[in-house]
Amino acid sequence: MSGYDLLARSLVACGREGLTGELRVAGAPGGVFHLRDGLVVAAESPGAPGPEALLLRSGRIDGEQWAALVREAGGARWPVAGLIVHGYAGAAQLRVVCVMALQDAAFAIAAGRVEGCERTVGEVGPPAPVAVGEPPGRLLQDASRKLAAVAAMPRPVHPDGERPVPAAGWADGPLTELRGELLAHADGRRTARDLAFRTGRGVYTVTVEVARMFAEGLLETPGPPAPIVVRTPPGGVRQRTPPPAPAPPPVPAAPRAVELPRRSPGASGITESLTPSLAPEKHGASWKGFFRLRNGTSK
Amino acid sequence: MDHEALTLEMRGLREQVAGITDTALAAADGLLIAADTADSIDPEGLAALAAAGLGLARRTAAATSRGALRRTVTYGSHGCAAFYAVGDAALMVVLGDEGIDVDQLHRATRQALHRIDLILTEKAPEKAPEGV
Repeated sequence: MSGYDLLARSLVACGREGLTGELRVAGAPGGVFHLRDGLVVAAESPGAPGPEALLLRSGRIDGEQWAALVREAGGARWPVAGLIVHGYAGAAQLRVVCVMALQDAAFAIAAGRVEGCERTVGEVGPPAPVAVGEPPGRLLQDASRKLAAVAAMPRPVHPDGERPVPAAGWADGPLTELRGELLAHADGRRTARDLAFRTGRGVYTVTVEVARMFAEGLLETPGPPAPIVVRTPPGGVRQRTPPPAPAPPPVPAAPRAVELPRRSPGASGITESLTPSLAPEKHGASWKGFFRLRNGTSK
Repeated sequence: MDHEALTLEMRGLREQVAGITDTALAAADGLLIAADTADSIDPEGLAALAAAGLGLARRTAAATSRGALRRTVTYGSHGCAAFYAVGDAALMVVLGDEGIDVDQLHRATRQALHRIDLILTEKAPEKAPEGV
């Protein structure tokens, strides 16, 4: 059974049984489907930007503002009320972002390697659930339609496949905003998935655009990556040994004492000089005398 | 030191875990050994920061009786920076974007760190002479 079949069977079974809980998909990138009464209300995957990443990377809100909203919402990971109240996004926009992120995560999970599926029963409370969940069958249909669409392109690209660079001779013509951003960030280190995170766009959208740009000669696969330069630290890498104990400070040459000087009581003469004149009993300034006065203690 | 094996470990980790953007290796004192980083990152500075960060974390772990230090992870709104101790002699930096599954990263690095430690301290099994 292929990984996709395993995913489809597990997810559809969760839907049929009306599961409320999670379906964890092990693999690369893998992810989690959150279900409520058999409907998928959220999906998260390292292979696709979630609603938070989409908003933050789109520049609609910055990290500090986001942190303030999360604080305001008592630590909620998806501070939806604050986003609307402070005018960062409208309620409808946020609903669209959540649905897009859900479908995009399903696409990323389905496009990757699926090694196993494990379900957990019980509501965990996904960070950004959609109001009306998606039936698993329809979600998978949407994902496989997208996979087929990418595969049918003249120059198909896998989300975790090539790491393109701008083609050497690409004509400097008018570019869409997305294409401009992709060219700016395609540095030979980023896959379509990485570019999606970097630009705050859906991974399906970016994968399709990267495939088109390859086909149109705007992007190309770089040659072998530059070798990583390895420098050996002087003296090699050694297990750390405890630093030697610091040398004792140089002791000025002094006559060798046989033993340490010993303090003898009364040697300073301070007791004798104080007792006759400053005896506490005779002076009200003394603390002892003060307390005695207050407490009315007779001598 | 087997440079090729070290390079393979660093690149392999990036291929293995979705969301890793950069990796670097440094000696425990912060001297850079190898970097697989984007042009926007200064690998020397990163290595020095990681050494200072791990040193502070190691002392914190000792002062609070938290046992042997495993790693430190700094989370930002655009991703995370994980510093791992490689044995007692070196450290590894892994930078990830906001999509990275940090638990998966820790699982993937556990074996890699051990192998990297062996390569760095030249205890790795010798390659067959006819090997690549």
